[in-house]
Amino acid sequence: MHRQSFDELRSHLLESGIAPKHVHRIASELNDHLEDLRLEALENGLSAHEAESHAVNRLGDQRVIAERILEHTEFRTWIYRYPRIARIYLPVAYALVLPAAPIFAGMANPSIVARWGAALMLSGAVTAGMFLMMQLSIVLT
Amino acid sequence: MGQTNPPFMSGVPELLLLRLLEQREMYGYELVKAIKLTTGRAISLGEGVIYPVLHSLERGGALRAKRKKVDGRTRVYYSLNAKGRKRLDRLQSEWQRIQSGISAALEAPGNA
Repeated sequence: MHRQSFDELRSHLLESGIAPKHVHRIASELNDHLEDLRLEALENGLSAHEAESHAVNRLGDQRVIAERILEHTEFRTWIYRYPRIARIYLPVAYALVLPAAPIFAGMANPSIVARWGAALMLSGAVTAGMFLMMQLSIVLT
Repeated sequence: MGQTNPPFMSGVPELLLLRLLEQREMYGYELVKAIKLTTGRAISLGEGVIYPVLHSLERGGALRAKRKKVDGRTRVYYSLNAKGRKRLDRLQSEWQRIQSGISAALEAPGNA
């Protein structure tokens, strides 16, 4: 019964940006705590069903637990902690870095630049040759 | 005069947890039982809410968490470290300052 509830708590926390590692840990500790409360209630003479609901009540409303967790921004993944960086600065940085990537790659490996330059010059020469032939054919006819 | 009051009741679980963990390492369920025992059940909280406080203290470097297998069950034990002791001292003195201020206000004649 409560396993299902912790699944809901897990989903809610994950959707709210709490880091998965932290969500799994808190759910695991809550589950252990619930089990301790259930065993304590059984030792005190409650039936299995009563012990279960007694334990759930003592653990507290899971919405309140979720609220308390969400109050701590340090548990969230960095995308949720720094939304401006994730939504504005990072795309801008990518937009700047991606066109510059061939330059950086060429600086790191100069032979690529030489080959790229030679290929560019060759293709330029071929294109110029084609234009020249076309011009000559127009002039001669 | 530049000193501000800490969050009122919201700081109480933190103070109690640090105080209890100063004595020995404990896991969550043990800590809740100890809070009830030491406060004479004056403080009642949904037991699950101590975990966000414990995790936040751990994240802030005041506590250390360690997994231990005891009687076939794995438990997360929390213990206080040097940073936690400093935090406890600060919270204790803030709490005592507030407490003495409130006591003085309550005891002062004709202030109501």
